[in-house]
Amino acid sequence: MLERRLKWLAGLLLIWGALIFWKLVSLQVVHHAQYAALARARQEQVVKVPAARGAIVDRTGAPLAMSVPTQSVLVNPQKVPDLGVAADIFSMVLRLDRAELAARLEAARKDGRGYFVVKKKATWEEAQRLRGMAFDWIQIDSGSERHYPNGPLAAHILGGVDFAEKGNAGIEKALEGDLEGTAGEERVLTDVKGRGIDAVVESEPKTGATLTLSIDERVQFVAERELAAAAQAKGAHSGSVVVMNPQNGEILAMASYPGYDPNRPPGGGENPEARLNHATSVPFEPGSVFKVITLSAALETTSLRPESKIDCGRGSITLFGRTIHEAHGGYGVISMAQVLAHSSNVGAIRIGMTVGEEKMHEYVRRFGFGEKTGVPLPAESRGRVRSLDRWSKISLPSISIGQEVSVTALQLAQAASVVANGGLLVRPRLVLKKGGRAVPVPPPVRVIKPETAVTMRQMMEGVVLPGGTGYPEARLEGYSVAGKTGSAQIYDVAEHRYTHNYNGSFVGFAPLNNPAIVVVVTLNGTHGNLGFGGRAAAPVFHAVATEALRVLDVPRDLPEEPAPAPVADNAAEKDDLAIADLGSLGPNILEEGEEDAPATAAAGPRVPDFKGKTMRAVLAEAAAKGLAVIPAGSGVARLQYPPAGSALRQGERIRVRFSR
Amino acid sequence: MATMPAFLDKTAGAADAAPRLARAETTDRLRALPLDDVLFFSKKIDNSRLVRAADPRARGACWHAVGAAAVLLLLMAGTLVPSLAGRLEGYRLEALKGEERRLLDERRTLELQEAELLSPDRLQQVAEKQNLVAPQAGQVVHLDGNKPDGSFALVK
Repeated sequence: MLERRLKWLAGLLLIWGALIFWKLVSLQVVHHAQYAALARARQEQVVKVPAARGAIVDRTGAPLAMSVPTQSVLVNPQKVPDLGVAADIFSMVLRLDRAELAARLEAARKDGRGYFVVKKKATWEEAQRLRGMAFDWIQIDSGSERHYPNGPLAAHILGGVDFAEKGNAGIEKALEGDLEGTAGEERVLTDVKGRGIDAVVESEPKTGATLTLSIDERVQFVAERELAAAAQAKGAHSGSVVVMNPQNGEILAMASYPGYDPNRPPGGGENPEARLNHATSVPFEPGSVFKVITLSAALETTSLRPESKIDCGRGSITLFGRTIHEAHGGYGVISMAQVLAHSSNVGAIRIGMTVGEEKMHEYVRRFGFGEKTGVPLPAESRGRVRSLDRWSKISLPSISIGQEVSVTALQLAQAASVVANGGLLVRPRLVLKKGGRAVPVPPPVRVIKPETAVTMRQMMEGVVLPGGTGYPEARLEGYSVAGKTGSAQIYDVAEHRYTHNYNGSFVGFAPLNNPAIVVVVTLNGTHGNLGFGGRAAAPVFHAVATEALRVLDVPRDLPEEPAPAPVADNAAEKDDLAIADLGSLGPNILEEGEEDAPATAAAGPRVPDFKGKTMRAVLAEAAAKGLAVIPAGSGVARLQYPPAGSALRQGERIRVRFSR
Repeated sequence: MATMPAFLDKTAGAADAAPRLARAETTDRLRALPLDDVLFFSKKIDNSRLVRAADPRARGACWHAVGAAAVLLLLMAGTLVPSLAGRLEGYRLEALKGEERRLLDERRTLELQEAELLSPDRLQQVAEKQNLVAPQAGQVVHLDGNKPDGSFALVK
């Protein structure tokens, strides 16, 4: 009896043991992978190690753009088990108003939203407290936010970033590949409370490279301040200033008016022009400042010398049956140097015709016009220089005085640097270092002979001496200066005629013998005599150059004597106005695209014809084709740039002006 | 072996019967059974004279067991202590890593604040409030002559 019972007991024990053994085999062998994965999911967390976007600093190391870490608290309102409890927790930890938060959460749930941002910039401690609670419906999103500590300073150079911290303009866009960081991953073993015990780095985070720009924030600040003040005083709708070291091409400042604050996203009511970099993206007819190129070509290719006499015809010249006058008064026979100092249009035309079409075209191109400077900014314009076979009989005289070509302020600075540094074309540089490594510099190219450059400097000094068009506004205390004023009538593309609004400009450099800076100032849309280059742009040159020379600590080369007082606003204006209406046979240069210039980028999509369409239709069409449009005004589209049918370069935007 | 009387604490015997009866009367307890003191007699066994016989083998086995337990304990401690220490250090390391990240983030925030405070626009406003003016070109004299950035300088 007892033996039988013992056998039963042994049998039961054996079955019990077998069942346990089978369960163990099932857990540890058959379903090993599944349970191991479950365990890992509970015990291990894959944590993203954020990599900061690279900072942008100026040449002295002062930060211009930097990213700071942020922690956002998010929930899915549909998954929150109890909205009241959630509101209690968040109001306590994040110090938010409980009633308001509860109402917003309730509304989000009713709207069927699956994403609700409880707090955007939670502190590290707040985020840690919420993490410690380990609720699966609370999500802590670690990210970073781009900041521009100087606000609008250098906004057109820096550009901006979108919501995902990707560059959408300026350096931020052009050098996105260098700036963006790559987040790393870390596998963290955690305990039951979610505390980290051990961590294995899966991939190291890669921080974006810090970019060192050639900009000096002090010079940039003065350039922007003086440009804005002059534009407002002279009624200009836009303008630009470029300060450049002519010896190595380093851009010390590049200001564009109007400006904007890159910390704020583009919003309604903002002037679309504010986000355009007028120094690089908006070409214009340069007018009299282009006479520097005409005279340089003459010195290089003809027997004309500064003292050579030029018959200025008492202020008129007859070309192809048309008589052309100086804008104000006239000169008789004067020297070539005086032609430049007085900015005689007739004299410049005569000199240009001596140079000839081929040589003029060659030198215009050699000075870098009609091609991009290569500065790393998106949407840089190459300006426009027509190919020689498309020149009309009036093209040579027009170009001699800065008509029938369109240039950017940066191209003008590049060309002025040729004269300032002894005849070498140096490419403008904006980025000195990427991540501590110097950016290679392209070798300079000789454009004119050194003696020609020296002669041009001497002639350009005459512009700022008594009798010159830049005197006295462009004079600097303690420094010798050379420069050239320019006042070009603005062409109305809609009306197909020149207006009485001007592009007032000044190109200058100092000191004369070993120039440390080249400064180009343009003011677009000035009116009347006070809007001429000598009156509107030269004072900006004076203020900016004075500050730049002080910041760079350039030794004075003249005895200290106070600069002459600027002339009264009502004084007679010296004639530096380029005659606008020379009766060009073709369309104005500003009405054309840039297809003649050598293509440096792959041809993009063709620009559609927006003329006559409403803003809504234009934006819809552009969005459908993936094109970026900058609208201005209201009504129907009247003007557009680039023109319809031309190839759109990568990153280029279409400007459309609407009117009723 | 314990007997029933020992278990029920009845060994007090007849000597205690009268007072117990009296107590029963007063406390309403049941009366004692007949021949209670006989039936529940307990015999006292005196084994104080017993002497444990010496067993050297058992003693050795005991010490072996103690030794084995100690060795096992040491082995377990040797295995578990490093693991436990590693785990505790892991906690500390992760906490320090978190602290390092927090400090780095805080530093970047402070750098931003510093940059905002040193922005040219703000400096100009502060300078204007203090009636300060920028030195003119050539007025700044660097005291070490080499003009490095950040060197001491005076204004003529």
